[in-house]
Amino acid sequence: MIVENVIGAFVELATIQTIILMMIGVAGGLIAGAIPGFTIAMAVVLTLPFTFGMPATQGLATMVSVLVGGLSGGLMAGIMTGIPGTPSSVATTFDGFPMARNGQPGLALGIGVWSSFAGGIISAILLVTLAPQLAKIGLEFNPWDYFMLVMFALTITASLAGKDLIKGLIAGAMGLFVCTIGEDDAAGMARFNFGSDALLQGFDFIAVLIGLFAFSQLLSDVRDPETAGQSLTERGQIYGRIEHRRAIRTVLHHWVTVVRSALIGVFTGILPGAGGSIANILAYDQAKKMSKHPEKFGTGIPEGIIAPESSNNAVEGGALITMMALGIPGDVTTAVMLGALLIHDVIPSPTFITEEPILAYSIFIAFFVATFMMIGLQSFMLRIFVLVTRVRMYVLASVILGFCGIGVFAIHNVDFDLWTLFWFGILGFLMRQFGFPLAPMILGVVLGNIAELNLARSFAITTELTPFVTRPWSLLFLILAIFSTFFPLYQRHRNVRQWTVVYAPAMAASVSLPMFMMGGVARPLIGIALLILSGYLVWHRTWQRPRSDTSDTN
Amino acid sequence: MQRLNQDTLVAMVLLVFCGVCFWASFDIRQPDYGVLLPSTWPRVILGVLSLLSFTYLVQSIRRDRTATSTTPETHLTSVWDWLRYWRNPLYCFGLFLAYLLMLPILGMLLAGMTFVFLLQSLLGGWHPRRLLMHTLVAILSVGGMWSVFTFGLDVMLPSGIILPSFY
Repeated sequence: MIVENVIGAFVELATIQTIILMMIGVAGGLIAGAIPGFTIAMAVVLTLPFTFGMPATQGLATMVSVLVGGLSGGLMAGIMTGIPGTPSSVATTFDGFPMARNGQPGLALGIGVWSSFAGGIISAILLVTLAPQLAKIGLEFNPWDYFMLVMFALTITASLAGKDLIKGLIAGAMGLFVCTIGEDDAAGMARFNFGSDALLQGFDFIAVLIGLFAFSQLLSDVRDPETAGQSLTERGQIYGRIEHRRAIRTVLHHWVTVVRSALIGVFTGILPGAGGSIANILAYDQAKKMSKHPEKFGTGIPEGIIAPESSNNAVEGGALITMMALGIPGDVTTAVMLGALLIHDVIPSPTFITEEPILAYSIFIAFFVATFMMIGLQSFMLRIFVLVTRVRMYVLASVILGFCGIGVFAIHNVDFDLWTLFWFGILGFLMRQFGFPLAPMILGVVLGNIAELNLARSFAITTELTPFVTRPWSLLFLILAIFSTFFPLYQRHRNVRQWTVVYAPAMAASVSLPMFMMGGVARPLIGIALLILSGYLVWHRTWQRPRSDTSDTN
Repeated sequence: MQRLNQDTLVAMVLLVFCGVCFWASFDIRQPDYGVLLPSTWPRVILGVLSLLSFTYLVQSIRRDRTATSTTPETHLTSVWDWLRYWRNPLYCFGLFLAYLLMLPILGMLLAGMTFVFLLQSLLGGWHPRRLLMHTLVAILSVGGMWSVFTFGLDVMLPSGIILPSFY
């Protein structure tokens, strides 16, 4: 069955037009990812209007190609200038830039490119095997479970996205509220339109996304007149040749780091809200802890590049698993992919992979093929990158803003979408300035309708609230949402306040409860394992280590 | 304005926003069918948002006033300083607003080119050599994008009243 679907997907993708579009997508993604301030999500968002006229498979393959290219593009700027092209390449600069300064820029670039390739391939394999399995689990979900899953996705995004949890939760709630403006889906009643016919249609998700994210990002990039007038070449030395053979030997020699980092990336990506910006730091941290020479990290060693680059390419595979299997985007980029699917009248859900197998497997195969294209194009795009680095930031920003206008109008051919872009651009800019993270708001906008729909369905079945705690999956997501809400507090007060000692054991013990409720054999065994883990953690933290003086400082 | 005052102001604005929207929720008509009324979910969100905004307000007031913010905005002592600091974003927003207002007259192609040219010039300067570059960039970039959408993707973009329609 899988083989038939894979072959069918290859046949769909193996047209000259699709291959050319994918190559253009990878090339564009590489350049977009390489330019600091121009994020991968922005590149994918700006690609979206071009895909309206394409068949769904072709459009999505193009967007996946931009995504794959962007993930690897960030290393070019990071290694050569010390400025990461994207947040998912921050850790790459820790050792990539020193290695380049030590006279080995070609090797640093090569290690980054081939690590990205390896991470992407591992992620693609896991995507093909795990997504259908997760979709089978998703078939067990009922409206209560889905509603709680959305709440968990929002709380964990809020807790991971910024330094201030309250601001993250406010942003998430604002995103949910934006979805309620206009006619409600169930009864068609006007909500919060204040008498305006234009507001009756609500805000288009893509216009909101481009306004909140792209428009505000560009304005933040040109805020400082000095940096707006600079080109990238004025910020670092640009070098143009990759040493592939040495890089391949080095990456193969550190295959354990590659596999470990890729797995960290995939499982970080599966978690809603946690993206490449977290995965690359996590993987770097783990590589340093597991290394025999942790003191050498930061001086320009290969492992310092391999770990973050393997993990950041693997993240999107994980995020795609959650998006395709459950219809819940793992990060902003997959939120855009979800928008693209909706525009092509495809609704991701647990039945998506079984009902649209060719389209689903086309996305998997496109991810796989684009990773190979990335290797082939990286050397060539490095030369283009050298040219692009001479363009001043304000020129790029002006052109992209002009493009935003055309692209957003092309969605529905209505002026109101441009006004949406404008107003949400102002809102996004103000949010950035006041320290509110955008990711929770974007996810709130994406998931708001799903949350309300499932809440309505659950109340249509019964008006009781008890299923939210008696249904095992709903209870599991509720527990995870509560613990993820307290996670930033736990991180801040770890080893200082007494309650942090019981945080992890309490979470493990709490999560075991819905596992026992699920029945069967495997899940109760997982529950037992979690209880044992909880007991071990309590014993280790209270009896093994001496208690610290944890008097309340308030 | 210090960060602390900013947070308090933002929290108050959010609370006012919640109040206005909650008042507006009473204008939502209720159908005779369905269990979950159209006003219920928005009110739940507004309730949560109000609680969060109130918590944010309390946090901002309780924060130690002696721990002053070190953001660059704290050094903006006059309106002129503030305008100079936020000059570039204000140019972007102002020009984009003008672009939207002129769209029905100039059409997407001319309005877009004008917008990109003026924005580059405002952000990058008015030196003659740069003006030439800005003109070329505006024509090639907007013209190229417009062509791709109009002729390649068959998207109907506004033509305005100056240029003839291509459809």
